[in-house]
Amino acid sequence: MTLINHPPYERWHDWTELDAKAWPERVERHYALVPTTCFNCEAACGLVAFIDKESGTITKFEGNPEHPASRGRNCAKGPATINQVNDPERILHPLRRVGERGSGNWERISWDEALEAIGARIRTAITEGRGNEVMYHVGRPGEDGYTERVLSAWGVDGHNSHTNICSSNARIGYQSWMGLDRPSSDFANAEVIFLISSHLEAGHYFNPHAQRIIEGQAAGATVICVDPRLSNTGAKADHWLAPWPGTEAFMLLAIARLLIENGTWDREFVRRWVNWETYLTETRPDLPCEFASLEQALLDAYSEYTPEQAEYICGIDATQLREIAGIIGKHLSKFASHNWRSAGAGNLGGWQVARCLFFINVLTGSVGTPGGTSGNGWNKFTPAPPKGGQPIKEWNEMNWPVEYPLAYHELSILLPHFLNEGRGRLDTYFTRVYNPIWTNPDGFSWLEALSDTDKVGCHVALTPTWSETAWFADYVLPMGIGSERHDIASYETHAGRWIGFRQPVMRRYAELNGEDVGPDNRTHEYNMGEVWEENEFWVDLSWRIDPDGELGIRQYFESDERPGTPMGVDEYYGRMFAESVPGLAEAAAAANQSPLEYMRDRGAYAVPGDPYRPYERPVDPSAIDGCVRDESGVYRKPNTEGTWDGSKESLQELHLAKLGDGSPAVEVDGELKEGFPTPSKKLELFSSTLKDWGWPEYATPTWIPSHVHWEDLDLEGDERILLPTFRIPTLIHTRSANSKWLNEISHRHPLWVHPSDAERLGIAENGLVRVTTRIGHFVISAWRTEGIRPGVVAASHHMGRWRLEDAKARSWGAGLAKISNEGSQWTLNRSKGMNAYESSDPDTERIWWNDTGVHQNLTFAVQPDPISGMQCWHQRVKVGPAQVGDEYGDVVVDTEKSREAYLDWLSKTRPAPGPHGLRRPMWYARPLKPVPEAYLL
Amino acid sequence: MTRLGFVLASDSCIGCHACTVACKSEHDVPLGVNRTWVKYVETGSFPNTGRSFTVMRCNQCEDAPCVTICPTSALHKASNGVVDFDDSRCIGCKACMNACPYDALYINPATNTAHKCNFCNHRVEVGLEPACVVVCPTHAIITGDLDDPTSEISKIVARDKVSVRAPEQGTNPKVFYRGVDQAALDPTRSRIADDGMIWADTTPDHPTISPVMAEHSGNGVIGRTAYTTSHPMTWKSKVSGYLVTKAIAAGVMGIAALLVVLGHGGSSSAVGILPAVVAGLFIAITGVLLIADLKQPKRFLYILTKSNTDSWLVRGAWILGAFAAVTGLWGLLDLLGAEGAYPWLALPQVVLAAGVAGYTAFLFGQCEGRDLWQTPLLLPTLLAQAVVAGGSTYGVLDLVIDVPDQSAVRIATLGGLGALTLLIGTELVSHGSRSVELATLEMTRGAYARRFWAGGVALGLLAPIVILATPAGSTSVGTSLAGACALVGLFAYEDAYVRAGQSVPLS
Repeated sequence: MTLINHPPYERWHDWTELDAKAWPERVERHYALVPTTCFNCEAACGLVAFIDKESGTITKFEGNPEHPASRGRNCAKGPATINQVNDPERILHPLRRVGERGSGNWERISWDEALEAIGARIRTAITEGRGNEVMYHVGRPGEDGYTERVLSAWGVDGHNSHTNICSSNARIGYQSWMGLDRPSSDFANAEVIFLISSHLEAGHYFNPHAQRIIEGQAAGATVICVDPRLSNTGAKADHWLAPWPGTEAFMLLAIARLLIENGTWDREFVRRWVNWETYLTETRPDLPCEFASLEQALLDAYSEYTPEQAEYICGIDATQLREIAGIIGKHLSKFASHNWRSAGAGNLGGWQVARCLFFINVLTGSVGTPGGTSGNGWNKFTPAPPKGGQPIKEWNEMNWPVEYPLAYHELSILLPHFLNEGRGRLDTYFTRVYNPIWTNPDGFSWLEALSDTDKVGCHVALTPTWSETAWFADYVLPMGIGSERHDIASYETHAGRWIGFRQPVMRRYAELNGEDVGPDNRTHEYNMGEVWEENEFWVDLSWRIDPDGELGIRQYFESDERPGTPMGVDEYYGRMFAESVPGLAEAAAAANQSPLEYMRDRGAYAVPGDPYRPYERPVDPSAIDGCVRDESGVYRKPNTEGTWDGSKESLQELHLAKLGDGSPAVEVDGELKEGFPTPSKKLELFSSTLKDWGWPEYATPTWIPSHVHWEDLDLEGDERILLPTFRIPTLIHTRSANSKWLNEISHRHPLWVHPSDAERLGIAENGLVRVTTRIGHFVISAWRTEGIRPGVVAASHHMGRWRLEDAKARSWGAGLAKISNEGSQWTLNRSKGMNAYESSDPDTERIWWNDTGVHQNLTFAVQPDPISGMQCWHQRVKVGPAQVGDEYGDVVVDTEKSREAYLDWLSKTRPAPGPHGLRRPMWYARPLKPVPEAYLL
Repeated sequence: MTRLGFVLASDSCIGCHACTVACKSEHDVPLGVNRTWVKYVETGSFPNTGRSFTVMRCNQCEDAPCVTICPTSALHKASNGVVDFDDSRCIGCKACMNACPYDALYINPATNTAHKCNFCNHRVEVGLEPACVVVCPTHAIITGDLDDPTSEISKIVARDKVSVRAPEQGTNPKVFYRGVDQAALDPTRSRIADDGMIWADTTPDHPTISPVMAEHSGNGVIGRTAYTTSHPMTWKSKVSGYLVTKAIAAGVMGIAALLVVLGHGGSSSAVGILPAVVAGLFIAITGVLLIADLKQPKRFLYILTKSNTDSWLVRGAWILGAFAAVTGLWGLLDLLGAEGAYPWLALPQVVLAAGVAGYTAFLFGQCEGRDLWQTPLLLPTLLAQAVVAGGSTYGVLDLVIDVPDQSAVRIATLGGLGALTLLIGTELVSHGSRSVELATLEMTRGAYARRFWAGGVALGLLAPIVILATPAGSTSVGTSLAGACALVGLFAYEDAYVRAGQSVPLS
């Protein structure tokens, strides 16, 4: 008997299964299967919606076997999508605030009313030259490029993101080596898998990566996981290394040094692809500038990074480090590593974690190799939209402040402080699947800012579900989840490129049923209630901003097929798939379908091409026509940053590349090669940019002691390091509280504490703990575990969701809370946890758990890394038993202290201008790169 | 033949719970119950700490105790080897939940019937893998035909080191674990610590090794259960009560028969109509308790109309029915003045009374998940309890009626009490399996210690023995007091025994 795992694709339109509940009676269920893309985490795995033909509703979601990354498999959050669709508390209609902001009173309005009102505001802002007062602040976007184009079409530098609570440090770490700011690891073919992350339960990208890591491990790869607490990944790893938080870079440099010392490094790769000449010139002018000098230079530079010193600094056994270096050294070119958040996101200078980690990739020649680590740009494919936008002329200083010229990217966590300082105001502020009051550090400062209508004129929350932030909005506009919206997504999940197509499955189902679904229809006609999608919303909103086209905006949203009317999603994606995705038109033709139909039926497409060693690709000599070859062999192009003379006059003639300085090729051993998108076109062991922009001491891979470095702490007393960021496999930030099955599995996040610490700190078993940060404290329960380094405590960030009214904005994860303040002193008390209640879903009466966690992020000050802008999440805290009057879930914060902390961290920066009076290196990536003139300070 | 099985590859499992959720989705499993879940167990100490992930579910036993005990064959073995169930036959007796040594079954609160993993047999029927297999990111759940030597699963079972849960139960599971930590596979080797689990609340329904078990069972607990699901106790006071009420019914008729044998058959209604009425009443209460304990009480007749004759629930129902009939006849004889027939009826009445009292030993014996109940001493214990219950009831009745040979009753009761003391004592000092020892610990030193010692032993055994063995025992007040003590004590003992039997975690 052979069983298959998925319905064969050819039968998706008409598929029969047996009713699980009626079984063993054979009752047939007839389904239409429509593929889409999961909208929970960033991985964008494939899903297939099973639409019951009898009831016309979605019954379940399974994986999409046609998806090249997820390959038909999912994590818990994939099938849980059905909970989110059917959640009894979801927002079904557009709402407008009634009464004071934050009072929790709403009236239902029509989409037309919402569009008219918001469109008129934005039009006024743009016509009054206040375009940059319009801001779109997105959590994890889950789509590639759509909204950026919309903002560009408006001519507004209003893109704000969640990046600096997530990945800024890792980005700078990778970008400073290879110009590309994300790793793409080929785990499946690796022989050593080195994770400073918890990819087997979270990670960027959990399910696709977990599949391939376990595949690699099963095939014999050694898995090494670095994490101060025992993640599930650490548990599966062959080596779990739990160094002191913030010493990871030191440990990595010790390994790097061992590789050099042992002679187990790929000299030839380093000679060809690393800017060692610059390194030697800058750091060792005393040595002859020849490759043979490099080994000695590196051994000298890292002479202090011995295994014994690493044992002292990091707390990792020297013998184990030697063993690990030995393993790595035996597997040159097959070292797949990854860091995205974790230590990178936790520490001041955490960007050097990724930089030092990738140093090992470079030394082992494991860059873009089978089993190595590549750059995201090579394994991600973003198709060009059919229409573009206008150049952005004005620099938005609220997002790109002068103090952080190298930030990757927007300084989003500082927004409330900038508003307080009067650096600007917001006319119209969109939050999209973004919940800064809950997610960001210093949430009470956000609450203060968002409550103030002088600072934020109009707040529009685009969200599928209630959130703490949406509560403080003026408009709450319900936007669809994974099965209710159009998006394109592509991520560097493995060695290969793909695009995934998210679609509103009920709209597609209507189409399959022969209904006339045309450009005049809107997705909210097919979704539950009036739940819409951003794609059409932005088009219709843009139309209201510029109804007659006089602002020059409408043209970017106008249909070419039906001039004078808005472009529909079918036209948009139909053209994108037909024109911008290599091979897709041919594949569709072979299947006798249009490219759009092909994607609507399959949901994903593997873009053909060889993923390995792209930098070695030869460059056609015609590409260097008119270019100038510099002394390092880089061909520099006229009118690009690479040939710019630094004068103001010639600035406006420059053409800025999306990535890199626009130089097309580099000569290596006499051959023209594509190289890397860095100024040197090589891997930059020495980053001239960091030196030129004021950080010469960090131009090479370096350990920067963290703001929570253990030697600075009173560990004999009550000081400890708090790790507040880790994810668990079943929840996803602020997005999963509307799934009953996920919240049933996970709803508490006690403070992990080593038993020896618990004893020393006087924390009773089952006892409450008060954790005091720089700006306040929170009260949580302790969980003793041997799975954490003594001296470190940790609590997952997922829990601690709250709502302010018992019968409103309910979810499966939010407890009832009371918020009060006296001046800058804010208090949040938990009135009650989760409890059973009556609703349209009988399961609400079966809720058996009570804990909903503690909102710890409220008590964290903003701690932006002075270079990357990354929120350095780890906290230096005092830990002790709860005090008299403390109740579980209490949070107390003084926002005056928040401001002090903000100014303190701000003072660590080295502001622009950089060379030639610029605000930011022009070769650095940036959402919505403005015109070159805007770069001048 | 096809024999479908699972390999649960703990070495590949990443503990992501996708299988749990995919299963909930496929079967619309309500909150609070699970067909499959992932258990986390932590072992070791920093920095050599481990956490293992083990998928827990129905073991698709070749010799499935749940199928044997199911009175209505709602649980059955399908032709492909899957232990499947038919909702429409289930009466919700929960016997399967005690028969299963793996905590695989639960009562679905939406249907009030017993559910479990059925291998997604509705999917298998149309050629699809179970939902958990399809979703698993790391191919850690492998399914296939164990009778096909070329199948992936057969090769793994043949070549790799695999284990099964609780092999000592002799159920022959078709679910094999690869790369599994023994601390995770054996639920008595780890416990939920007092500060709870890693990211879920711990409720009283989360079974775990109790502090008493952990403290007094040597170095057996080597891990910490960081995540598991709840499995509420299924048989409680109603079942303890049923044991007492039927012991009274059986015992009363037994004593009545004894009095007949001693020649008091014609002497009074105390041997005729009265015991029949009392036994009838208590057998009726027994029936009410049994039906009230069903999750589908309206379906109680399915026991007779859809019988699985292997189940001692069914056989018990027959015995109870026959006993009730003969008891009715016994009463009728008195009304008809046909006392002369009693000597003839005494033997069948005693045999049926013994059946009523003792069949539970066989029923409990079919509860493979409850090792405490597997003892061969259970049958004599139940019989002795019936004697004590019957004698005690006569003792109480002595207040209102004239019992013809109270000393015979007293001697019988004392005999029963003595036997019971001996049996319980033997049970306590003998060494059973680890499960039995843990259950015994819980009964004698843990949550049920008061019920056991103060109720079962002091009130139920010592007090009546002391009273009956002294001159006070020959007075009506004395016999009735001793009887009342013995009956109340009996309930306390049964309650401790029934609950302690279920206190050892199975998953």
